[in-house]
Amino acid sequence: MSAPPGWLRGESPGLTLARRTLALVAICAVLLPLADLRIVAADPWTELGRMALGLVWPAWHALESPFSAIALTISVALWGTFLGAVLGFPLALIFHRSRLVRGFCAFVRAIHELFWALLFLQVFGLSAVTALAALATPYAGIFAKVYAEILELTPRAPRDALPEGTGRVSRFLYAELPLVWGRLASYTRYRFECGLRASVLLGFVGLPTLGFYLESAFREGRFGEAGALLWLFYGLIATLHWWGHRRLLPLLMVGALFWLGPWPEVDGALLWRFVSQDLWPAPLLAGDITGMGTWLASIPDLAPAIVNTLLLALMGTVGSLVFALLLWPLASRHFAGAGVGGRLQRGVGRLALVMLRSTPELMLAFVFLLLLGPSLLPAWLALSLHNGALIAFLVARHADGLNLGMPGLPASGRYAYELLPRLYPNLLALICYRAEVILRETALLGMLGIATLGFYIDSSFEYLMFDQALFLLLITAGLNMLVDAISRRFRPRDVPLDEPCA
Amino acid sequence: MPLLSFEDLDLGHGAQIVLPKLSLSFEAGEHVALLGQSGAGKSTLLTEIRRRLASRAAWCPQGHGLVPLLSVYHNVYMGRLERHSALANLLNLLRPNRQAWPVVESLCDELGLEGLIRRPVAELSGGQRQRVAVARALYQARDVFLGDEPFASVDPHQARRLLAQIKRRHETAIVALHQHRLALQAFDRVIGLRDGGIILDAPTRELDIAHLDALYPDAAESNTRPETASDARIAAS
Repeated sequence: MSAPPGWLRGESPGLTLARRTLALVAICAVLLPLADLRIVAADPWTELGRMALGLVWPAWHALESPFSAIALTISVALWGTFLGAVLGFPLALIFHRSRLVRGFCAFVRAIHELFWALLFLQVFGLSAVTALAALATPYAGIFAKVYAEILELTPRAPRDALPEGTGRVSRFLYAELPLVWGRLASYTRYRFECGLRASVLLGFVGLPTLGFYLESAFREGRFGEAGALLWLFYGLIATLHWWGHRRLLPLLMVGALFWLGPWPEVDGALLWRFVSQDLWPAPLLAGDITGMGTWLASIPDLAPAIVNTLLLALMGTVGSLVFALLLWPLASRHFAGAGVGGRLQRGVGRLALVMLRSTPELMLAFVFLLLLGPSLLPAWLALSLHNGALIAFLVARHADGLNLGMPGLPASGRYAYELLPRLYPNLLALICYRAEVILRETALLGMLGIATLGFYIDSSFEYLMFDQALFLLLITAGLNMLVDAISRRFRPRDVPLDEPCA
Repeated sequence: MPLLSFEDLDLGHGAQIVLPKLSLSFEAGEHVALLGQSGAGKSTLLTEIRRRLASRAAWCPQGHGLVPLLSVYHNVYMGRLERHSALANLLNLLRPNRQAWPVVESLCDELGLEGLIRRPVAELSGGQRQRVAVARALYQARDVFLGDEPFASVDPHQARRLLAQIKRRHETAIVALHQHRLALQAFDRVIGLRDGGIILDAPTRELDIAHLDALYPDAAESNTRPETASDARIAAS
């Protein structure tokens, strides 16, 4: 007879992951007092009521040119993603062989689309080039990394079966690419959905996508119009598999070309001045070392911003994990009852997840900010809900592909014994991938006035201090690369990755 | 002059030696069956033979090694991938090569794959895939055929037909398999592997089924026929 093991004792992979997760949650709980989580709102309820009313009774008639906004949103997402894939694919082929390429990719994807947009905006103005470059640049880095990981998982058997002396290109075309084509294509589709969200966000810096109208409607309190625009966007995401069908894509691509615009006239001299002078500190260009000291001293104290950024990223990651664990059964077939009621329940669950994951995190944060006042709390909630819902959706899809070994278990048994043990490694891997994205988003929330690094980046751009903006962007990118390295060590190994929208 | 010979050779993967101190030789024109339990070292031996013969041998790997997304034609065409330029291979993916198509088609017809040449391999049954894998090896058109369980997922009747095709097109064949009856009836020589060594190497006319059963200790004890044991193994894998 042996004594049963104590709490969380044992060597099974599930327990290992559970211990790791609890350690993460514990670290977050210990650090939580450092975060400013005050609720400082005076009377948010009237404003919030009007917002809810706007969502319930959208003012469809108030929309001026919804079609062109939608068309531009889709066009930017489509071509931005496509260009990102075209640039990222060759990089993926040499990704594991070149440290330089890995570093470059980590750098370009460490900066959020919106900050790229702010940078390109200075040179290309409010144009299609700014929009496409803002999407394609970070996406090239993301595609390079994910494609390289997918290619690494190519089964070896067909390659080993090839006759002696087969060339590298032929081997790739016949015995490698076709084996991973499906995974590459499905990841690209997911990235396109992310591209749609990013395309909406570009409206926040002034490009006339859906986000532009959404932001101005929100800012000016025209909540009926904002509601209508949000519903349009939810509809767009929910019907993606119809209008974004594989066969329709070439047609969409060609059509999108007509909607992209305006095309800027690039002033070469201006571009050169921006790249060679505006982006760099003047003392550095003049070779004045003491002047550099003064320049550095002029930068605001970044320590609290860095602490806030990292803390918010950790809290957001843990929050997403908790929400993902709670929310995924909402959209899974294993937890819907039989008949019409079950279908309805699942439909509502799915709709809720679509709404949570398609609402731009900036918008969610804005609403919570209004409700709770300016602290880290609204940002935390927004990040956790948005990313948690996104991961919940992916996990539910994964779960729907599994068959239960023992039918007739109660819901808790299905959750804890049948499904979660099989889903959890993947879920945790997704969260680890997502940690990097969450960090990028914390910077973004700075644009709303939350005291993260993004706040200072945004104000540097606002005051046309491009040298300072670049310096802060480099710090942000450095932080991102650091967190990426940590999360890579933390995430469970040998997990077949189920298309993360990372 | 033998086709190939080993003298006191240690074979294995990296530092792990599967077949120590192996001495063996093969003559041109022989049809050799390699028998033994899974893990006895058949694949290790075949891999070494393949390495030595290089482009003189056609190769049919265990588990087919096919590309599911590509059509039967393209999978068979892969047997001669090294004889065309990368550009020609790329174009062939977009539009089948005029010269290669009829050759591949008649080969497929002979192997009982009539009308399937355009079909993606993913849509084929296990037995059909097996035949595509054999077709790809035949398409290589070499002197020696090396097969690692090329009949694992076809019935005995089919296996006999495939083997006839293989023998017709190759001077020499060295094949790992589990079908003892087939080994006795259609091969010249049987090599039996067990516990990291050769425990049987004789012309088939000197052998009977009992000799071969000794290669499978479990099967002999539990009195199951080896065919059944190998079928069970395939079903489990």
